[in-house]
Amino acid sequence: MVLKIFFPTCCNTADSGLLIGRWIPGQDSAVVLAVIHYPFIPGQVKKYLSETQNQSQVDLAVLGSWSLPKDGQEGMDSFLKDLSTIFPNSRWLQLSREIGKRGFACQVVHNRITPPDPAQGGTDKKDQIIFIHYDQRKVMLSQLHPIHEESPGEESSELRAVFHTVAQSGPLFLLDRYDEGPLKLTHWQSEGREASIVVELSKQAVFLCLCMIACVFVILNIWPVQFISSKMSTCVQTAYRTNHFQTVFSTKKATSHMEFMRKANIFVSFLVDMSLGLLLVSWLYRENHISQLANTLVKLSLYRFFLYHIHLWISYIRLMSPFIEMILWYVGLSACLGLTFALSVLSDIVALLTFHIYCFYVYGARLYCLKVYGLSSLWRLFCGKKWNVLRQRVDSCSYDLDQLFIGTLLFTILLFLLPTTALYYLVFTLLRLVVVMFQGVIHLAIDLINSFPLFAMGLRLCRSYRLAEGVKFRVLCEEPGTPLHLMMEINPLKCSSVLQRYRTPTYSCYPRDSWVDLCKKLFMGELIYPWKHKTTKTD
Amino acid sequence: MGANSGPGASPCASPVGPWRKVLYARQPFPDNHVDRRFLEELRRNIRVRQYRYWAVVRETGLVAQQVSCVAVFITLWSCMDQGRLGPSVLLWAATGCALPGYGLYEMLGGKDRERPRLADLQSAAVFLAFTFGFSPVLKTLTESVSTDTVYAMSAVMLLAHLLSFPYTQPSPPGSLSLNAALFASVCLASRLPGALHTFAMLSWALLVFALWPCLLHRLRERAEWSFPWAAGLVCAGGVGGLGAVWPGGALLLSLALLVLTLACPLLLVCLQRHKDNIHGPWDEAEIREDLSRFLS
Repeated sequence: MVLKIFFPTCCNTADSGLLIGRWIPGQDSAVVLAVIHYPFIPGQVKKYLSETQNQSQVDLAVLGSWSLPKDGQEGMDSFLKDLSTIFPNSRWLQLSREIGKRGFACQVVHNRITPPDPAQGGTDKKDQIIFIHYDQRKVMLSQLHPIHEESPGEESSELRAVFHTVAQSGPLFLLDRYDEGPLKLTHWQSEGREASIVVELSKQAVFLCLCMIACVFVILNIWPVQFISSKMSTCVQTAYRTNHFQTVFSTKKATSHMEFMRKANIFVSFLVDMSLGLLLVSWLYRENHISQLANTLVKLSLYRFFLYHIHLWISYIRLMSPFIEMILWYVGLSACLGLTFALSVLSDIVALLTFHIYCFYVYGARLYCLKVYGLSSLWRLFCGKKWNVLRQRVDSCSYDLDQLFIGTLLFTILLFLLPTTALYYLVFTLLRLVVVMFQGVIHLAIDLINSFPLFAMGLRLCRSYRLAEGVKFRVLCEEPGTPLHLMMEINPLKCSSVLQRYRTPTYSCYPRDSWVDLCKKLFMGELIYPWKHKTTKTD
Repeated sequence: MGANSGPGASPCASPVGPWRKVLYARQPFPDNHVDRRFLEELRRNIRVRQYRYWAVVRETGLVAQQVSCVAVFITLWSCMDQGRLGPSVLLWAATGCALPGYGLYEMLGGKDRERPRLADLQSAAVFLAFTFGFSPVLKTLTESVSTDTVYAMSAVMLLAHLLSFPYTQPSPPGSLSLNAALFASVCLASRLPGALHTFAMLSWALLVFALWPCLLHRLRERAEWSFPWAAGLVCAGGVGGLGAVWPGGALLLSLALLVLTLACPLLLVCLQRHKDNIHGPWDEAEIREDLSRFLS
């Protein structure tokens, strides 16, 4: 039987003491979490263990003893053996190491009802021991993928159990060497606890913003405002960001890894968005760019044609042109709220300016659709057939003389007017598609900024051990007669998996129809609404 | 399994009796065995009709007169196009032909009327109003189309009309043939100088392609003797009219009519003796029952 002992690298040079950890149930392996040094009082050790066990929900136990004799320390062996009676357990590990040598020596004492075999030195013939060294800090901060939401005690694999144990044992690592307590421990944090004061302060300050955001949210829920705002991308983006503020700045702490990652992603992407927006603002208000933009927009909207609508439009623009620069100045300030906001505003401006193209497109499409429908029906009359609505098929039919006559005349008229109508429809549709494509590109950019998991990618690049896909083992020391020593290193998650897993769900717009459906709709003259908005999932 | 009698054995006699043409009884003959009654139910050419030459020539008159109708129509269009006839003249001529024709139709009709006279009047009013209202539109319909295209389209449509004409039952005019003829007439009429020309042309198209076959059919039914004279009159009118416009065309038309009327029936009668159709009990069953007793 092979016994696997997960040993933290920080305890390799720890002074002699007791090994604290957990036996993985049913797996014949143990995770060593910390070493409690001599001198200690067994009662205090037991009290401390039970307190920590209550806090962390990990069933800690004293696994055995650790002996690293420094200069002048001799004769600990018998002392160590007696300890097994104080802390009763089914198995008692006796690990020892000599300074200068790489390998450990290990003895396993089985406490059975029958008297144990006299430990004559050397390992039990049946027990083979493998030491797996792991970096405690990295394993503690790491999250093994694919993520399962399991209750403790039912871990599906040994590796998952190890990661879970180390991660849950946070309360055990709170005592460091500067604490004036009865117990002295060695673990990854024993050289001094890490703390982030900044995070705590900012959390308190931002609580105030939450109240303001809640008010805005209430206003946005009134029905007429809701209808109009669902059509304008600016309002959609605002609602989306408000949702995010609520998520990020809620005082409830993130309970699971996914929630934490989501919060962090949203926060980081919001910061980047703001900084890009401020960058845009700084460029826009320099060197008269606003007036240049206003001029270009006015010129663009003047170069359209067609009839009475154009005339109205031209008058309207002429009326507005002195005000456009001022409006643009104030609207440009909205870029302070983020680059995505500025892009949404641009998309809305484009939609408003090209509204007449949309009108013409609808006229042309409806006429063309009617014509195609009429032509197809009259062609069936031409051939002497009829559409059977009940059976959804074409049947032969004997028409009356007057029906035939009028039908043929109308068919001829529609057929010869087809090229003109088709050409108008083609032109308007192309213009509309150009506008729609432009808006689609803007929305894709907004979507990218909204949903890209910057925090997760940063984590993957800088602290790759936080997101673990698995582990790999390296042989440290393999000598006959001594146990095998392996070094456990964390395999980070692939970048593509990071993107796929941690994408923030957005109201992304994606094409409603496939290419074939789109072409069919265009051919038949049906109105196309190519982008569909996914509604945000409410948690 | 099966009979062991080889090819030299006597085919009919066997211990169990003569061979029966059944598959459900095991017989000592091979599966492909046949006896002397093989193919005695085969019949040849039982449906071959014995055509008499002059009867066929008489029936061919219908096809010939339809071709001549098309020729008459083209003549009228050509005359209007070249300006020889004014539209008002044609309109009066149309009225002059339509009213006697309707009277003749009524006389021959007798007691049975499938449509009341009011419905006929209503139809006529609808035609006239519609055609008159749409003739300005129809006139400018093919302005953007080249002349060659218009002629080609009309030719194709008139050919389709001749090919799809229901020669066996011409009285309710077939949809495709009538529609093709009307389409061709609209195409041609749109090339004429004025809206009234278009109206006149369309009225004549209606008369020639829609109403004349009904009258002809009524004539055949009631007064069999007059049919050859009517057909002959139409053919003569076609040839003569075409001759006034295009003599070469008249020659071609008369040649075509002769071939159609005289040579084709000869061919039909002569080729009958080369027919070789076999019939037998293996044919698909045809239901000859009279189902009219279910329709009360």
